[in-house]
Amino acid sequence: MLEINADTPTIVQGITGRAGRTHTHHMRAYGTNIVGGVSPREEDVDGLPLFRDCAAAVAATRATASVAIVPPLSVLPAILEAVEAGIRTIVTLTEGMPIHDAVKAKAVVRAAGATWIGASTPGLAIPGRMKMGFLPDVSLAPGSLGVMSKSGTLSYEVCHRLVARGLGQSLWVGVGGDPVKGTRFADLLPLYAADEKTSALVIIGEIGGDEEEELAAAITEQGFAKPVYALIAGQSSREGVTMGHAGALIHGETGTVASKTKALNAAGAQVFTRIRDLVAAITPTP
Amino acid sequence: MMLLEHDAKMLLSVAGLPVPPGRLVRRTDIAALPALPLPQVVKAQVPVGGRGKAGGIRLVREAGALAAGLDDLLGMEIKGHRVQACRLEGAIDFVAEAYLSFTLDAGAGTIRLLLSAQGGMDVEDPSLRPHLLSATVAPDLDSLLAGIDALSPRLPDTVRKPVTDAARSLAPLFFRHEALLLEINPLFIRADQSWIIGDTKLAVDENAFPRQPDLAVIVQNNPDLYPEAALKLDQGYDYVPLDAGGDIGLVTTGAGLSMQLIDELVARGRRPFNFCDIRTGQFKGDPARLIQVLERIAAGPSIRSVLINFFAGHTDLGEIARLLIIALKAVPHLKVPITARMIGNGLDKARAIIEEAGNPILIETDLERAIDLAIARAEDAHA
Repeated sequence: MLEINADTPTIVQGITGRAGRTHTHHMRAYGTNIVGGVSPREEDVDGLPLFRDCAAAVAATRATASVAIVPPLSVLPAILEAVEAGIRTIVTLTEGMPIHDAVKAKAVVRAAGATWIGASTPGLAIPGRMKMGFLPDVSLAPGSLGVMSKSGTLSYEVCHRLVARGLGQSLWVGVGGDPVKGTRFADLLPLYAADEKTSALVIIGEIGGDEEEELAAAITEQGFAKPVYALIAGQSSREGVTMGHAGALIHGETGTVASKTKALNAAGAQVFTRIRDLVAAITPTP
Repeated sequence: MMLLEHDAKMLLSVAGLPVPPGRLVRRTDIAALPALPLPQVVKAQVPVGGRGKAGGIRLVREAGALAAGLDDLLGMEIKGHRVQACRLEGAIDFVAEAYLSFTLDAGAGTIRLLLSAQGGMDVEDPSLRPHLLSATVAPDLDSLLAGIDALSPRLPDTVRKPVTDAARSLAPLFFRHEALLLEINPLFIRADQSWIIGDTKLAVDENAFPRQPDLAVIVQNNPDLYPEAALKLDQGYDYVPLDAGGDIGLVTTGAGLSMQLIDELVARGRRPFNFCDIRTGQFKGDPARLIQVLERIAAGPSIRSVLINFFAGHTDLGEIARLLIIALKAVPHLKVPITARMIGNGLDKARAIIEEAGNPILIETDLERAIDLAIARAEDAHA
């Protein structure tokens, strides 16, 4: 699971697009080992070697990870192509991937034993070393908090304030706000449990779905010796109204802040609905 | 998003499935209603369950009572949704009410199939549970059909044939429309073992609209019934009215942080006017989105203060400030204090641009202080 480190050779699918160029540039500046790009166009992007497809890129660069920055209806084909080429970790940043495509992608990635982060995510980062995606530099700092988030902007805000208090991150993974996604909170729990650099877990959740409840069940079943702090957004949302994230939709009693809080509390996590309460509760661990 | 019952039934009807004859009625249609066979069922069209319990469904037996029934339901509020339209439907004679649903399980990436000889009530109702037949299948048509066939022998003789037939007929539509949920409850069974769809919930994926023109057109043709989805489809950003009497208007980017900001305001006892995820990264030099959102806020009768929150990752705040100044000039009737929380790239440039424009916006970098400022300025405006 999540076979990445600070030096993972990474390619960018869709590298010649406007967003592809911008984020490739920022990722390299942050230290990510970008070894090439995939695009049908022959253009220059930071002097990197470009390839027509993932197979050629992997053969030439030995990349094991890919960041896909392609249009919404092209995310599924990009994932299939990357998996076929032997890529082990695929991060898809694009917002708006159809859900039935996500279901297909999930099945293919699972069958290949690879890892898919996304869709609709700012990506992941090992702060101070590398980032795959566009997590903002002002919110990133090396430290010992393991961060998992459904929301990009809310995690930027929370981590920015924690960094101001001297609390940085060991590994930050944006799992994305879509209902069907490659990697869910609970999938990453064993990784954070085993990671010696992680002293506590910060969960940025929101209404909708059952990912927080599933994480709570995993904590209870597998055990997790480190403190867990969670923020759940969307307390004032109405049933049947989507607010930005397709996944943040309440149906009846499921997906509510109350349901998530109850489950996480029962698993020993501290749950907050206000940012300042979460930030104040997290204390540096030796 | 959840389609309204009427639109879901039209889709199913077009696909050849039996639904009761019905029509959509807005308030403006009442005067011109033709004579309809009685009794009629008047059903409030809102995208939430539990309409019956909330008084959103009426049986009308006399022609004279139809207009009054419509009048009662139109304008009613159900779980925060104002009823803008009703479906008028001929009442159906039936001998049994069954239940069936296909749900995409987001976590597992599978489909949950439920069949029951007992329908007509909330599936969460504990008394329905013992009758529910359940299976989990791979997300493809063949697997779903096989799942239906596997459950079918466990249905009571009285409803086995119609329920199985209905489920098999509906299964292809789940995939054709890229549904997230397709529920028929109740599925009316008639004395001759034929079936007809009593009520349905069909949740579809807005992300699939580019290749689902039949769904997109429903939203495009009914912007009054699907205002948020229509705006998203047309303009590419999210805006949700929250409280018509709200006093703080929000111009914010990022779904999670925008949602959280509303929680923070509500926790302070305030009434935010709207939600929005304006997506600053997609402005591309055009102030149109900002102007639209500011116009909507300006139309709020109780607006006393505007709070902007832009946490810029790579977006240039200088450019954002430039567009904000243009947008404010385009909405001169918005005369309330504007507080902007800005942080990220180009903050100094943003400050300079706003100062040069005569400081129409108060900039604050800390979110908690910006919230407190926006509230204080709303209270000053009240005083």
